[in-house]
Amino acid sequence: MKTAPDIFTYKNTSQQEPAKGGLLAGKRVAIQPNMCARGWLTDAGSRALEGFIALEDATVVARLRGAGAQLAGSARMGELGFGLKGDTGAQAVAAGEADIALFTDTMGEARVAAAAYGLFAFKASFGVISRFGLAGLVPSMESWGVVARGPEDIIAVMRAVAGKDGSDPSMPDEEPPDLSDIGSRPVKGRTAGVIKECLDGLGVEEMRLFQAGLERLEKADLTVKEVSLKDFGLFRAVHNVIGSVEASSSAGKYDGVRYGHRAASAKNWNEMYLNTRGESFGTLIKEYLFQGAYFQFEDYRAFENACRIRGRLVRGMAIAMENIDVLVLPTRRLAHDAAGASTVKETYDAFSLTLYANVAGQPSLHVPSFARGPEGDMGIQLTVPRLADARLLSVGMELSSTAQGAERK
Amino acid sequence: MKYEAVIGLEIHVQLNAATKLFCDCPNRPGDEPNRNTCPVCLWLPGALPKLSREALEKASLACLALNCTIQPESAFDQKVYYYPDLPKGFQLSQHHKPLARNGWIDIVGEDEKIKRLRIHHIHMEEDVAKLVHEMEGRTPISLVDFNRAGTPLIEIVSEPDMRSPYDAMEYVKALRTQLRYTGSADCSMEQGTLRVDANISLRPFGTDELNTKVEVKNMNSIRNVGDAIAYEIVRQSECLDRGEPIVLHTRLWDPEKRVTMPMRGKFSGPCVPDPSVAMIVVTDDWLKDIRRRLPEMPGRKAERFSKEYGLTHEEASNMSQEREISEFFEESARQGIPPRKAASWITTHLVPALRDRDVTITETPLTSGRFARLLAILETGVINAHAAKEVLLQLLASDRSPDEIVETGKYRQVSDNSELEAIVDKILADHPSDVDDFRGGNAKVMGFLMGLAMKASGGKANPRLLKEIFTKRLG
Repeated sequence: MKTAPDIFTYKNTSQQEPAKGGLLAGKRVAIQPNMCARGWLTDAGSRALEGFIALEDATVVARLRGAGAQLAGSARMGELGFGLKGDTGAQAVAAGEADIALFTDTMGEARVAAAAYGLFAFKASFGVISRFGLAGLVPSMESWGVVARGPEDIIAVMRAVAGKDGSDPSMPDEEPPDLSDIGSRPVKGRTAGVIKECLDGLGVEEMRLFQAGLERLEKADLTVKEVSLKDFGLFRAVHNVIGSVEASSSAGKYDGVRYGHRAASAKNWNEMYLNTRGESFGTLIKEYLFQGAYFQFEDYRAFENACRIRGRLVRGMAIAMENIDVLVLPTRRLAHDAAGASTVKETYDAFSLTLYANVAGQPSLHVPSFARGPEGDMGIQLTVPRLADARLLSVGMELSSTAQGAERK
Repeated sequence: MKYEAVIGLEIHVQLNAATKLFCDCPNRPGDEPNRNTCPVCLWLPGALPKLSREALEKASLACLALNCTIQPESAFDQKVYYYPDLPKGFQLSQHHKPLARNGWIDIVGEDEKIKRLRIHHIHMEEDVAKLVHEMEGRTPISLVDFNRAGTPLIEIVSEPDMRSPYDAMEYVKALRTQLRYTGSADCSMEQGTLRVDANISLRPFGTDELNTKVEVKNMNSIRNVGDAIAYEIVRQSECLDRGEPIVLHTRLWDPEKRVTMPMRGKFSGPCVPDPSVAMIVVTDDWLKDIRRRLPEMPGRKAERFSKEYGLTHEEASNMSQEREISEFFEESARQGIPPRKAASWITTHLVPALRDRDVTITETPLTSGRFARLLAILETGVINAHAAKEVLLQLLASDRSPDEIVETGKYRQVSDNSELEAIVDKILADHPSDVDDFRGGNAKVMGFLMGLAMKASGGKANPRLLKEIFTKRLG
């Protein structure tokens, strides 16, 4: 297991005492270097932001401080938040360096990272947590992810950071979820639906593990039903096209003119620009940015189609959930290692089961240990309609005791 | 072959909102470089754009003034291209869903008839930073000033309804008048707060083809717009006559050489909906409120001036072209000055004096009250028109009362008969041949003699008395 210097890209050594008596008093939180914390190195794991020091706190960071959390430091992250290559956020919790790790969940990073360490992970609904101060990549899909040992810490973080923020006008004008009475009474609806199309392509062992997970759900008094979403396979393509286009736009600002790495020599500004961008990005993110630029400049139709299909998928999810209370899916494929993915294709392979929630803006909770075998924990994840975050976390509270039981076995 | 020009204009207007379009930085591009910047307009990591309400309101007023329909929903797109003047690699502009559509503006055509020119749409966008290319010793360097980055613009895209340089110039003038009235924009071509790009194509007379167009930029005055279009029409006609095809490209007007020259190939990047700027959804109440704020526009005001104040068509039009002038006129007229006299004084004396000084009325100490008082003194005959003009010029520079200026400046006119008779007699004695001329039937000589007498009196003679004396002496 890695030690602290490897886990943190920036370790907080400030002697400043956190605020007393808040929701997160005594909790150590690891953030990522794409979340602005005043005075901290905020390089989003990329040479493109080399040496960039945040001028002010992100809204989330300010709210964490206000709730009494102690910021442990910035864990390492995949370049610009795409995938988990080099990420150490979940390790920080597993190694006891932090109680909670915050993630940018763009395609399932928090959930998949947690699955590898037996931790819980939650991705909030799109638009319920301010993105102000997040140096993000895919604005329409990324959300904050929280990784912790149990749902209690996740709920405390959500209570501390969720809710309206005048600094983020992109948050939809709507009532945020009421998180105040999570876990105070038994969950009413107890029907869990399994999208049969999401199981296409799973291996025999993977199917066996997932079935075992469903049986544990039934033991926890949930009724499991099969539902259908014919187009489930399209989530991946839609995420790839829209995600890469938004990433290409978001990364357009990394030009070395105002901050970050700048190429040492160039004949003129144009060459400076090209050399700088060429030197700043790693090969994985470069491949993704190229894909996005391709759709922007050469095949805009594909982007328009992806946007249209996205709308259809969101409606399809709503229909699939009409007669059930919660959807259940495996969290990850054991055959694909997210941390080792070095191409866009391998990255998407590793997140093929989680990215639906980013496309549809739904909350999603990863529960460990329900589908664990000798080759690792596949994990199960639950999802509910957007803004029903409180209900999902209530289910999570009930399942956590079952999960702990499974852990002990 | 005889060709007809088909001209459409794309006009960028800088809104005079207090802040930039997506942040609270002052909208003052001319300040010390990079002074008016913040994480949003420098697009530092973690920044989020926040649409300025004031800019949206001013843009909407401008749209209403150009008879456009504000769209129930409009949204920002990312116009993607990479250039150091663009801090985020894209410009936020409304490409797919513009703020307003389907407007029009009327001009008086070359045939003296009203010609309605249609506006396709108006959208909001942010301006880019300013690049300065310099030499540092022998090394070329490029400097970026982000003061202008993110300042609010509207782009007004016309239909290709114009057929001549005259049409285009009148369109720009009429549009400028309307926009200035709303108070949303200063619209100075010289200062770059109104920038015109012209799209010009030709077709054989009598056809309705829409042929390949050429875009011309860099005209810094209305006259240059006309000249550049006129040049381009000739250039394209010659190309076509030689059998050369017209190629889609952009040209720059060179105001020194008075020609258009080709510039870099026109690059058009993609426009992707921006996920971070919320869609603008207009409610009826909001729209009503904006409509209420739209002032009485010049066309309607001119009609009212004709009716209420008995001005001629031309006077009414002159008095209503600029909002400040129109308000000054109306305030003056309400203080009992004969309206036509006020209008005539404003047109012939006040406006040229303001132009000479390069100021607007509100920038001078002149008020309608003191202006009205001056004309009232003139009415009573205490001073003559010549003196009144002198006093008016002084009112532009000091806040003393007209009465005080008249007294201390010895502007009272000479209405003393004997004094004037002495002047007249001396002039008649000095100019016997002119006297003969007049008596021989040349009435024009009277004006010449009057001028001499006025000069001899130091401009203070009462012209009515003077004329009476001349008439009596020469009769």
